Amino acid sequence: MYRFITNKLLVPSTCARGLDFPAVFVPSTSFHEIRKNGYIDKTQKKVSTRQAIRDGLKELKQEIKNWTAEIKEATMLDPIMTVPLPGEVDAQWFFNQSTNFDDWIVTSDSDHNEGYSTCSLTLSPVGKGLFSGNLSTQLIKDGKVKRAGYCNMKSIRPQKSFKRDSFYDWSIYTHLVMRVRGDGRSYMINLGSAGYFDVNWNDQFHFALFTRGGPHWQVSKIPFSKFYMTSKGRIQDNQQAVPLNRITSFGITAGDKNNGPFRLEIDYIGLERDPTHTEISAYEQYKVPSFYAGY
Amino acid sequence: MAVKFGLSLSQILNRALPKVHNCKLLPGLHIRHIHKNACQFRNKESNQLIVRPSAFNVPEGDRNKETFVEAVKIYTTRPGPRRSQVEFIYSALKEMEEFGVHRDLQAYKEIIDILPKGKYIPTNMFQAEFMHYPKQQQCILDVLEQMEDNGVCPDAETDQMVLNIFGRHGFPTKKLRRMTYWMPKFKNLSPWALPEKIPNSNLEIAKLAVQRMGSVDPATVIEIFQTSELKDAIDDTWIVCGQSSNQKDLLAKLKEKQTVFVEGAFTIWLRRTSINYFILRSEPVPLSEEEQKLRSEFDYDDVSQLRSWIFGEENLTRKDIIVQPSVHEQEDGTILAIAVTGTCSKDSLLSWIRFLERTNPNIANLTILFATNSPLGEVSLAIESNIPSEPLSKITGGSDICK
Repeated sequence: MYRFITNKLLVPSTCARGLDFPAVFVPSTSFHEIRKNGYIDKTQKKVSTRQAIRDGLKELKQEIKNWTAEIKEATMLDPIMTVPLPGEVDAQWFFNQSTNFDDWIVTSDSDHNEGYSTCSLTLSPVGKGLFSGNLSTQLIKDGKVKRAGYCNMKSIRPQKSFKRDSFYDWSIYTHLVMRVRGDGRSYMINLGSAGYFDVNWNDQFHFALFTRGGPHWQVSKIPFSKFYMTSKGRIQDNQQAVPLNRITSFGITAGDKNNGPFRLEIDYIGLERDPTHTEISAYEQYKVPSFYAGY
Repeated sequence: MAVKFGLSLSQILNRALPKVHNCKLLPGLHIRHIHKNACQFRNKESNQLIVRPSAFNVPEGDRNKETFVEAVKIYTTRPGPRRSQVEFIYSALKEMEEFGVHRDLQAYKEIIDILPKGKYIPTNMFQAEFMHYPKQQQCILDVLEQMEDNGVCPDAETDQMVLNIFGRHGFPTKKLRRMTYWMPKFKNLSPWALPEKIPNSNLEIAKLAVQRMGSVDPATVIEIFQTSELKDAIDDTWIVCGQSSNQKDLLAKLKEKQTVFVEGAFTIWLRRTSINYFILRSEPVPLSEEEQKLRSEFDYDDVSQLRSWIFGEENLTRKDIIVQPSVHEQEDGTILAIAVTGTCSKDSLLSWIRFLERTNPNIANLTILFATNSPLGEVSLAIESNIPSEPLSKITGGSDICK
């Protein structure tokens, strides 16, 4: 939307990924021009080039400020202080009154007329984040949709100054720590690791978030090594460790095929470093037989 | 010099004089028209894209595993050549939920077994690469997909079956093997284990729910009360109550006239079943102003404030250090007990408090408020007891609970 316009204006799309590939030849059959493949917001208004330049220039001042802060941080940060001690949790996201909920994208299948599920991410009565809604596996009768029933919340892509896409660097951490209060359902944690090439845009790492249910809060500590890799939701034969320095998004999905309301209260989503945890990937890394996984 | 005009001689002839060309001049090159004898199929099912085979036309009450297996058997043992297998499998897939066999491995095996063994196995690498018998392969892929969606993991026999149908290069074989690799990895992953089959009885479900919620404190004791033991109870039902010794201590420490809330009903899901529960909660104890000030002003990163016991600097009366609160003392309230009642009625909750009073005498000194809302979650209101209650439909939300 707005970001897209300024992005186009200020930064050429080829260097927006943060990598310098001079020229890339992509086979035409796998070429995806738009990231949200097929799911474009049709209500979005087209802005003239003149207007786009005006809007872009308005943001220039703030972007220069951001850039200055980045340079300062890079030169002045003491790297030793950034390594957390074992047992310390670095909160990546807190949910409280001051949380900006615009930093989260909340979607469900009803957004694109593909189902009847609805959801929202709001402030709960006790002042925490509340991801709740109603799951419905009822199908839209359009003859195309085969399955329905998902609700999803996802963090927006981190950006550097001048709207350059950036990554979360979690490489010093080994565990994901979350304090949540669920309703007994199982949820899915999604770590997006969109790569440079379009075939890697939909690479994600998943693990289940089991909730106890009941009035008590729970702290879930999940090693990153347990996350398994999927592409467009399909689990892959060739597994790899989570590229923790290139995380593009964090998300939680509710889609356990049980019709009815769901409720997940989130206090914080944090990261922890456990030096004793040396496992990189919990899944077998053996080579898949030839012509089995596509090559 | 030969000039090619784009059409060969025989094609020109064919266009100009089709009859002559076909019948007289070049009798060996005539086009063979294939006519199917319509009478052969006339008595079969109507020519529709999606057929609901007559085999599945079972009266609603008789739809179960036996009739499903029987329907498949009727199809496979029909005399004559077997036709439209893929269509039959697709319609069987659609019917499975109605017959209540969508989580039954045996039923899936029956429908996979319809396809012939050996015929669809590719014999060279081109066939293997270009999806030999694509409709049949896609059909079994869809069967496996439905199994995956319903959490049915294929076994060794299914593997052998699919292997015999499509061979080791078949896409269904690959999918099946991926399923047998991944599905067992996540099957028993939940730290709150549940029995393979959730029991039908509401009481048993309630026990499981309270046990699961109480697992936060290992000292939780689950008690089952019968309201018939009480004199004044209107409802005759059961109450499953979970309370630990820590919660009893917390309840005993509450001051006289302090308000405690009976809140609910909240929902807990046990796999595909949900049940409503109630809690007894007291407001969190706010910190005194002095404590709040101490905590907000104390700088934990200030190294100069470090005190060592070696030099006698350690002050044991420091007020910023407190005993770690128990799991029940949360920032949004202290959880004192959890209960599931058979009727979810206000009267049953009253009975629950009376039962709690036997082991927690301090309740007599407290003000009990039956709250209609809660900061802890959405609440579905308890039922008034004069309305005839329907315990089965009120307490469970799961659709497949009665199966």
